[in-house]
Amino acid sequence: MQSKPTPGLFKRNPPIAGEAEAIERAKLGDPDAFSKLYALHKRRVYTLCLRMLGNVSEAEDMTQEAFLHLFRKLGSFRGESAFSTWLHRLTVNLVLMHLRKKGLQLVSLEETINPSEEDAPKRDFGSRDPQLSGSVDRVTLERAVASLPPGYRMVFVLHDVEGFEHNEIATMLECSTGNSKSQLHKARLRLRELLRHPEQLPPPPQASHARELVQ
Amino acid sequence: MSDLGSINFDALTPAEFEQHLPDLFLAGGKLSEDPRLTRFLSANPDCAALVRDLETIAETARSLFEPVHEPSDAVWSNIASKLAEEAGEDGGVTDLAG
Repeated sequence: MQSKPTPGLFKRNPPIAGEAEAIERAKLGDPDAFSKLYALHKRRVYTLCLRMLGNVSEAEDMTQEAFLHLFRKLGSFRGESAFSTWLHRLTVNLVLMHLRKKGLQLVSLEETINPSEEDAPKRDFGSRDPQLSGSVDRVTLERAVASLPPGYRMVFVLHDVEGFEHNEIATMLECSTGNSKSQLHKARLRLRELLRHPEQLPPPPQASHARELVQ
Repeated sequence: MSDLGSINFDALTPAEFEQHLPDLFLAGGKLSEDPRLTRFLSANPDCAALVRDLETIAETARSLFEPVHEPSDAVWSNIASKLAEEAGEDGGVTDLAG
């Protein structure tokens, strides 16, 4: 049996060379240090925003807000957690605040936190639909995640991609831990349905504007 | 959410399995390799396929943590000009656009 994921971010945030020094210099107002911190973390913050919002323009706006917030509040960073963990939490909270402010999105989020029967994944143990071939490529999964209803998408991204624990997600989304667990399971079931028919998935949200890095 | 301690793995039905599945996944480990479920999954291939698929999805999701998207250059330009503006208001001189 595998061990449970480590609380927080799967320990996937090792120190980055030069980051600590840049943080200290940025606290003193050094513009080059701000630039360096942005360069180190822009892709991760933007990718998180894009996954949560599914919209290039909003994701860029929230990336901007996250870094402005970061630079203004940097003095309060004491190093109790990894800098990138701190930045991720800050970003997630800003995106959620943004969605709540939009009102309409908030209703949508609540609906999918408690989805109607129509939205819920089908129970299909006996289905003869094609099964996944045993592997899913990340680009296809990315497209499927973008197709999820917002509430499912939030919980899936926060738990399975970002590595937050259910109690942390419950606090952020203002729902119960049980609700977060239930939503995650339903999100995975919905993804399974979507991934069985990848040809029906819409193109990724960044296709027309953002640049994708060649890995 | 269900109580895993109450599960009789030797007499598990597909309906019960479905009911307990979220908690079984949350208990940690790879369900497809859980010895308590070996017999049940062998006897219920659709359930076994579901488990394999959900494990594949969760494993692939972890690979999404590494970022692949990059914001446009305008994002940094906006940040730099706003910070420079704020620094100017505070009486400092900061050339963030550098």
